[in-house]
Amino acid sequence: MTISKKSMKWIPWILILPVVIIRGFTTLYPILVTLKNSLFDIKILSGVNEFVGLANYVNVFKDAKVITSIKFTVIFVVVSMIFHVVLGVALALILNMKFRGRRFLRTIVLIPWAMPAVVIGMAAKWAFNNDYGLINDLIRRFVSDFQYNWLINTGSARAAVIAMDLWKDLPFFAILVLSGLQFISGDIYEAAKVDGANGIQSFFRITLPLITKNVITLCIPFTLWRLTTFDLVYAMTSGGPGEDTSLIAYRITMEAFTNLNVGYASTLAVMLFIVMAVFSWFNIRVMSKYSD
Amino acid sequence: MKKKVVSLMLCAAMAAGMLTGCGGENADKATSTTDGTEAASGKSDEEYDLTLYSINTTDADFDEWLQNVEEATGLNINVIAAPTDSDTRQQKITTILSTADASVDIIEINDEMSASFKNSGWLEGLNDTVMTEDIRGEFAQGYLEQMITDKDGNIVGVPGYAGYLAFWVNQEIMDEVGITSIDTKEDFVKYLEAASGDGRYGYGGSWEKTYVFNEIAQFVNMFGGDYFDWTNPANKEAIQFMHDMVANGQTPIDQIADKYEQMNPKANDGKYGSLFMWGLGTDYEKAGMLGDDKIHMAMVPDFSGTGERAIFTDSWSYVLNAASKNKEAAIKFLQYMADEGGMEASYKAFDRYPARADVAEKVVPDTDPAKEMYSRYASECKVQGRPMLPQTMEFITDMGTIFQSCMKDEITVDEFCVKAQELVEKYSA
Repeated sequence: MTISKKSMKWIPWILILPVVIIRGFTTLYPILVTLKNSLFDIKILSGVNEFVGLANYVNVFKDAKVITSIKFTVIFVVVSMIFHVVLGVALALILNMKFRGRRFLRTIVLIPWAMPAVVIGMAAKWAFNNDYGLINDLIRRFVSDFQYNWLINTGSARAAVIAMDLWKDLPFFAILVLSGLQFISGDIYEAAKVDGANGIQSFFRITLPLITKNVITLCIPFTLWRLTTFDLVYAMTSGGPGEDTSLIAYRITMEAFTNLNVGYASTLAVMLFIVMAVFSWFNIRVMSKYSD
Repeated sequence: MKKKVVSLMLCAAMAAGMLTGCGGENADKATSTTDGTEAASGKSDEEYDLTLYSINTTDADFDEWLQNVEEATGLNINVIAAPTDSDTRQQKITTILSTADASVDIIEINDEMSASFKNSGWLEGLNDTVMTEDIRGEFAQGYLEQMITDKDGNIVGVPGYAGYLAFWVNQEIMDEVGITSIDTKEDFVKYLEAASGDGRYGYGGSWEKTYVFNEIAQFVNMFGGDYFDWTNPANKEAIQFMHDMVANGQTPIDQIADKYEQMNPKANDGKYGSLFMWGLGTDYEKAGMLGDDKIHMAMVPDFSGTGERAIFTDSWSYVLNAASKNKEAAIKFLQYMADEGGMEASYKAFDRYPARADVAEKVVPDTDPAKEMYSRYASECKVQGRPMLPQTMEFITDMGTIFQSCMKDEITVDEFCVKAQELVEKYSA
């Protein structure tokens, strides 16, 4: 049996066809439907389904709830990522040191990451409670009359959400940075030491330059995950107080599945998709520039 | 060449395997619907007569209740546990009904969902099959009409129980401050003043933005206002009263983060002198705090001074999914739930007070402390369903959000009333 060259040309296409079909059905089709829905006013509970063009997109910028969500999402992503990078690198450096129990520490440090965000959110709701929470209980061991409910004021509720996000995902970020650190040969540090470099100089002249690309690469998915975070807020604050901790992904979920405003939710989803695509493109550009 | 052919065949087999795995009906699909949590055993769908989406599966007596229902109806019932979180539950149920998912036949829905779904066409009308004229009169008429009757007059659910947003007081605190009854607004204010201080509050609530709706509506009702008319001075008076309670330290602002699961432990710990709460006090009973000398139901005070006492009633209703393929079995189930046997089983298993007055009279023993209070509520109060609009959760959430802002002094009471009226107009349109 022989297969002609002409037939061979089709074989790769035939082989990837199942994946193309599955991807088309599970990814491309929903994206196209979402794009289409974003141009309609679809309110399932009221039975409304009419074409409104770009009106939903215009309304986004007049919607106080969405504007609050966008503001907090920006704060959440920026602050959380700054701490991810700074504390993540610091934790990775600690985990890279040689000390007794290092393996044990590396293992347990990942436990928060392995826990579902909803579980963490529900636990955090209690942890930050003024009467029954472990956070205030801890503080009261030092300041006996300390009274503060973290989840009722805008600033502290937002800080609490960011803190829980860091508590959950920072160790994972650190472990991934650690993997980058382990690729740096000990000989380089030895040579630097011989040349008279101290620890701080070694960090800024050797470690940091060599892990920067690794850290930037990690920042892409970690930032995108922050942009799509909703489960933590869903379980911890329900977006409150008011709408102050409603991340944009939470807002989309509420509009889509609670309020059943499918058209408007699709508009928000498309806008988030565009932001994520632009961000990824920008990051890839930065990375390729860095590689050059 | 042989290698190429073999690898080609392997790839084809893999692709076929993947496609087979992706499509088609699975023979054993019993456990895979909705959230995948199933309370019953692992039988396949074909062995069940109907599927029930239940909120009661976490109750210790659920299995006993299910056995009772199966024996009485002769039905083999598949049970799927509804999520315990209210938002998640509502989203799941909305998705099932709006997508005409036939994998669930009977669903338990609350008033919020009922207000949203009753005119959607997703629920089967039950006038001729279950809620027939002979038994309809035994249910609270106001509730039936306001909450589970669609715009064409079809009753779309069977109330699973009768509940009140009851007024609860802590008798230990009342005794301590020397107040014997809270009958009027003045009595209530006196109690607030006397009971508040040192980390204790005369009144406590759950003011999380989706929960506080109950209390806003309750206070508006007590002041003789109208929840859908925020130009009514009584509405403003109610909000001002709630705001003053916060300002005077008679109720904590902390409760804007609280749902019932946070509020009830505080009540059990004696932090609250009074509160409004649904149900028969199961959480207080579990904590050993239910009783005439501890936390108990009391008559709602008359705030308006007109002698009229306002109280809300609620229920979780069993509804029939219009997309169901097991309607005959589902109707049999619903008929039992609307009947004395079904209500008695629910009362015994879940402490659910029977929704039918005649059944309650027969089934609930006189020793049940709720019986006396519930019959007083029914006879002495103006009993109503809660004020809801079709975009229920959106309306409730928006009202809760501006209420929290008002209580935190981010907006004034006047501004709250203006915004509330705008929301009423927006969601009524």
